[in-house]
Amino acid sequence: MSSMADKPKVYALSTCPYCKRTKRFLDQHKIVYDCIDVDLLDDDKQDKVLEEVEKLTGRRSFPVVIIGKEIIVGHDEDKLKKALRL
Amino acid sequence: MSDAKTERAYCPVCLARFKLEAGWKEGSVVICPICGQKLILAKSPDGLIGDRVDKGTVREIRERSENFARIRGYEFNDIKEDLLEGLMAKYKRFGDFYCPCRMEHVPEYQCPCKPTRGGDVEKNGRCYCGFFWKKK
Repeated sequence: MSSMADKPKVYALSTCPYCKRTKRFLDQHKIVYDCIDVDLLDDDKQDKVLEEVEKLTGRRSFPVVIIGKEIIVGHDEDKLKKALRL
Repeated sequence: MSDAKTERAYCPVCLARFKLEAGWKEGSVVICPICGQKLILAKSPDGLIGDRVDKGTVREIRERSENFARIRGYEFNDIKEDLLEGLMAKYKRFGDFYCPCRMEHVPEYQCPCKPTRGGDVEKNGRCYCGFFWKKK
Protein backbone atom coordinates (compact mmCIF):
# COMPACT_ATOMS: atom_id res chain seq x y z
CA MET A 1 0.00 0.00 0.00
CA SER A 2 1.20 3.49 -0.73
CA SER A 3 1.33 6.14 1.92
CA MET A 4 0.12 9.74 1.76
CA ALA A 5 3.72 10.91 1.85
CA ASP A 6 4.32 9.52 -1.64
CA LYS A 7 5.90 11.69 -4.29
CA PRO A 8 3.42 13.69 -6.36
CA LYS A 9 2.37 11.88 -9.51
CA VAL A 10 1.74 13.55 -12.85
CA TYR A 11 -0.24 12.04 -15.71
CA ALA A 12 0.53 13.98 -18.88
CA LEU A 13 0.49 13.98 -22.66
CA SER A 14 3.89 14.60 -24.25
CA THR A 15 2.38 17.07 -26.77
CA CYS A 16 0.20 19.10 -24.38
CA PRO A 17 1.52 22.56 -23.48
CA TYR A 18 -0.49 22.72 -20.24
CA CYS A 19 1.14 19.47 -19.11
CA LYS A 20 4.53 21.01 -19.93
CA ARG A 21 3.68 24.08 -17.84
CA THR A 22 2.73 21.89 -14.89
CA LYS A 23 5.99 19.94 -15.14
CA ARG A 24 7.94 23.19 -15.48
CA PHE A 25 6.21 24.61 -12.40
CA LEU A 26 7.09 21.53 -10.33
CA ASP A 27 10.69 21.58 -11.63
CA GLN A 28 11.04 25.28 -10.82
CA HIS A 29 9.89 24.60 -7.27
CA LYS A 30 12.28 21.65 -7.02
CA ILE A 31 9.48 19.18 -6.38
CA VAL A 32 10.45 15.57 -6.99
CA TYR A 33 7.61 13.78 -8.75
CA ASP A 34 6.79 10.75 -10.86
CA CYS A 35 5.53 11.46 -14.34
CA ILE A 36 3.82 9.31 -16.93
CA ASP A 37 3.44 10.58 -20.50
CA VAL A 38 0.36 8.53 -21.27
CA ASP A 39 0.49 8.97 -25.05
CA LEU A 40 3.98 7.43 -25.21
CA LEU A 41 3.04 4.18 -23.45
CA ASP A 42 2.50 0.98 -25.41
CA ASP A 43 -1.15 0.04 -25.96
CA ASP A 44 -1.66 -2.38 -23.06
CA LYS A 45 0.01 -0.15 -20.52
CA GLN A 46 -1.84 2.86 -21.93
CA ASP A 47 -5.25 1.21 -21.47
CA LYS A 48 -4.43 0.45 -17.86
CA VAL A 49 -3.22 3.97 -17.12
CA LEU A 50 -6.20 5.57 -18.88
CA GLU A 51 -8.52 3.47 -16.73
CA GLU A 52 -6.62 4.69 -13.68
CA VAL A 53 -7.01 8.32 -14.80
CA GLU A 54 -10.72 7.88 -15.50
CA LYS A 55 -11.26 6.28 -12.11
CA LEU A 56 -9.47 9.16 -10.41
CA THR A 57 -11.00 12.06 -12.34
CA GLY A 58 -14.03 10.76 -14.22
CA ARG A 59 -12.56 11.88 -17.53
CA ARG A 60 -9.57 11.71 -19.85
CA SER A 61 -8.25 15.22 -19.44
CA PHE A 62 -4.62 16.15 -18.83
CA PRO A 63 -2.54 17.00 -16.89
CA VAL A 64 -3.63 15.20 -13.74
CA VAL A 65 -1.53 15.77 -10.61
CA ILE A 66 -1.95 13.62 -7.53
CA ILE A 67 -0.58 15.19 -4.34
CA GLY A 68 -1.55 13.14 -1.28
CA LYS A 69 -5.34 13.11 -1.35
CA GLU A 70 -5.57 16.05 -3.74
CA ILE A 71 -6.36 15.42 -7.40
CA ILE A 72 -5.73 18.41 -9.65
CA VAL A 73 -6.98 18.27 -13.24
CA GLY A 74 -5.59 20.83 -15.66
CA HIS A 75 -2.70 23.24 -15.17
CA ASP A 76 -3.64 25.24 -12.05
CA GLU A 77 -0.75 26.91 -10.23
CA ASP A 78 -2.93 28.13 -7.35
CA LYS A 79 -4.15 24.63 -6.63
CA LEU A 80 -0.62 23.21 -6.99
CA LYS A 81 0.77 25.81 -4.56
CA LYS A 82 -1.96 25.07 -2.05
CA ALA A 83 -1.57 21.31 -2.26
CA LEU A 84 2.22 21.57 -2.03
CA ARG A 85 2.06 24.27 0.67
CA LEU A 86 4.30 26.58 -1.34
CA MET B 1 -25.92 14.37 -58.18
CA SER B 2 -23.58 15.14 -61.06
CA ASP B 3 -24.01 18.92 -60.56
CA ALA B 4 -22.83 18.64 -56.96
CA LYS B 5 -19.69 16.85 -58.13
CA THR B 6 -18.67 19.61 -60.51
CA GLU B 7 -19.36 22.41 -58.02
CA ARG B 8 -17.55 21.00 -55.03
CA ALA B 9 -14.09 19.81 -54.08
CA TYR B 10 -13.05 17.36 -51.38
CA CYS B 11 -10.81 18.52 -48.55
CA PRO B 12 -8.56 15.76 -47.14
CA VAL B 13 -8.23 17.59 -43.82
CA CYS B 14 -11.82 18.20 -42.77
CA LEU B 15 -13.12 15.37 -45.00
CA ALA B 16 -15.88 17.60 -46.36
CA ARG B 17 -16.79 18.70 -49.87
CA PHE B 18 -16.71 22.46 -50.10
CA LYS B 19 -18.34 24.65 -52.73
CA LEU B 20 -16.13 26.06 -55.46
CA GLU B 21 -15.93 29.80 -55.95
CA ALA B 22 -15.94 31.38 -59.39
CA GLY B 23 -12.76 30.57 -61.32
CA TRP B 24 -11.63 27.69 -59.09
CA LYS B 25 -10.54 24.78 -61.26
CA GLU B 26 -7.90 22.07 -61.56
CA GLY B 27 -4.54 23.53 -60.54
CA SER B 28 -6.01 26.43 -58.53
CA VAL B 29 -4.50 27.06 -55.11
CA VAL B 30 -7.39 27.61 -52.74
CA ILE B 31 -8.17 27.81 -49.02
CA CYS B 32 -10.72 25.30 -47.75
CA PRO B 33 -13.54 27.53 -46.47
CA ILE B 34 -14.36 25.01 -43.73
CA CYS B 35 -11.00 24.27 -42.08
CA GLY B 36 -8.63 26.83 -43.62
CA GLN B 37 -6.25 24.32 -45.26
CA LYS B 38 -4.35 25.52 -48.33
CA LEU B 39 -4.98 23.11 -51.21
CA ILE B 40 -4.11 22.61 -54.87
CA LEU B 41 -7.16 21.34 -56.71
CA ALA B 42 -6.62 18.15 -58.70
CA LYS B 43 -8.89 15.92 -60.73
CA SER B 44 -9.93 12.53 -59.40
CA PRO B 45 -12.51 9.95 -60.53
CA ASP B 46 -14.87 11.42 -57.89
CA GLY B 47 -14.42 15.03 -58.95
CA LEU B 48 -12.02 17.67 -57.71
CA ILE B 49 -9.91 16.87 -54.69
CA GLY B 50 -7.51 19.11 -52.78
CA ASP B 51 -3.84 18.25 -52.30
CA ARG B 52 -2.36 19.64 -49.10
CA VAL B 53 0.25 22.36 -49.68
CA ASP B 54 3.39 22.15 -47.46
CA LYS B 55 2.11 18.92 -45.90
CA GLY B 56 3.54 18.11 -42.49
CA THR B 57 5.33 21.41 -41.98
CA VAL B 58 4.86 24.03 -39.31
CA ARG B 59 3.97 26.40 -42.13
CA GLU B 60 1.03 24.18 -43.09
CA ILE B 61 -0.50 24.01 -39.63
CA ARG B 62 0.22 27.67 -38.85
CA GLU B 63 -1.44 28.83 -42.09
CA ARG B 64 -4.36 26.44 -41.65
CA SER B 65 -5.08 27.59 -38.10
CA GLU B 66 -4.65 31.27 -38.94
CA ASN B 67 -6.95 30.92 -41.95
CA PHE B 68 -9.51 29.09 -39.85
CA ALA B 69 -9.39 31.77 -37.15
CA ARG B 70 -9.82 34.49 -39.78
CA ILE B 71 -12.75 32.72 -41.48
CA ARG B 72 -14.54 32.21 -38.14
CA GLY B 73 -13.50 35.47 -36.47
CA TYR B 74 -11.59 33.75 -33.63
CA GLU B 75 -8.40 34.85 -31.93
CA PHE B 76 -5.35 33.24 -30.33
CA ASN B 77 -3.68 33.85 -26.99
CA ASP B 78 -0.16 33.44 -25.65
CA ILE B 79 -0.25 29.63 -25.72
CA LYS B 80 -0.49 29.60 -29.54
CA GLU B 81 3.19 28.88 -30.21
CA ASP B 82 3.30 26.10 -27.57
CA LEU B 83 0.25 24.48 -29.18
CA LEU B 84 1.85 24.71 -32.64
CA GLU B 85 4.87 22.92 -31.16
CA GLY B 86 2.53 20.26 -29.72
CA LEU B 87 0.83 19.88 -33.11
CA MET B 88 4.22 19.37 -34.77
CA ALA B 89 5.05 16.69 -32.17
CA LYS B 90 1.73 14.99 -32.95
CA TYR B 91 2.58 14.98 -36.65
CA LYS B 92 6.02 13.50 -36.02
CA ARG B 93 4.85 10.86 -33.53
CA PHE B 94 1.37 10.03 -34.74
CA GLY B 95 1.30 10.98 -38.41
CA ASP B 96 -0.89 14.07 -38.57
CA PHE B 97 -1.90 17.29 -36.82
CA TYR B 98 -4.18 15.78 -34.18
CA CYS B 99 -5.28 17.86 -31.19
CA PRO B 100 -2.24 18.05 -28.88
CA CYS B 101 -4.45 17.82 -25.78
CA ARG B 102 -6.26 14.63 -26.72
CA MET B 103 -5.26 10.98 -26.65
CA GLU B 104 -7.18 9.93 -29.72
CA HIS B 105 -5.44 10.04 -33.10
CA VAL B 106 -8.48 9.93 -35.37
CA PRO B 107 -9.44 12.07 -38.39
CA GLU B 108 -12.16 13.95 -36.50
CA TYR B 109 -9.56 15.31 -34.09
CA GLN B 110 -7.35 16.70 -36.87
CA CYS B 111 -6.92 20.40 -36.02
CA PRO B 112 -9.25 22.32 -36.24
CA CYS B 113 -11.11 19.35 -34.73
CA LYS B 114 -14.69 18.42 -35.61
CA PRO B 115 -16.20 19.79 -32.37
CA THR B 116 -14.43 23.09 -33.08
CA ARG B 117 -15.68 23.13 -36.68
CA GLY B 118 -19.12 22.35 -35.22
CA GLY B 119 -19.24 25.45 -33.03
CA ASP B 120 -17.55 24.62 -29.70
CA VAL B 121 -15.86 28.02 -29.61
CA GLU B 122 -19.21 29.82 -29.81
CA LYS B 123 -20.59 27.52 -27.10
CA ASN B 124 -17.64 27.47 -24.69
CA GLY B 125 -15.69 30.58 -25.60
CA ARG B 126 -12.72 28.43 -26.66
CA CYS B 127 -11.89 25.12 -28.30
CA TYR B 128 -11.00 22.05 -26.23
CA CYS B 129 -7.28 22.83 -26.05
CA GLY B 130 -7.56 26.62 -25.94
CA PHE B 131 -6.05 27.25 -29.36
CA PHE B 132 -9.02 29.15 -30.81
CA TRP B 133 -10.86 31.74 -28.71
CA LYS B 134 -14.04 33.70 -29.21
CA LYS B 135 -13.30 37.40 -29.60
CA LYS B 136 -14.25 39.46 -26.54
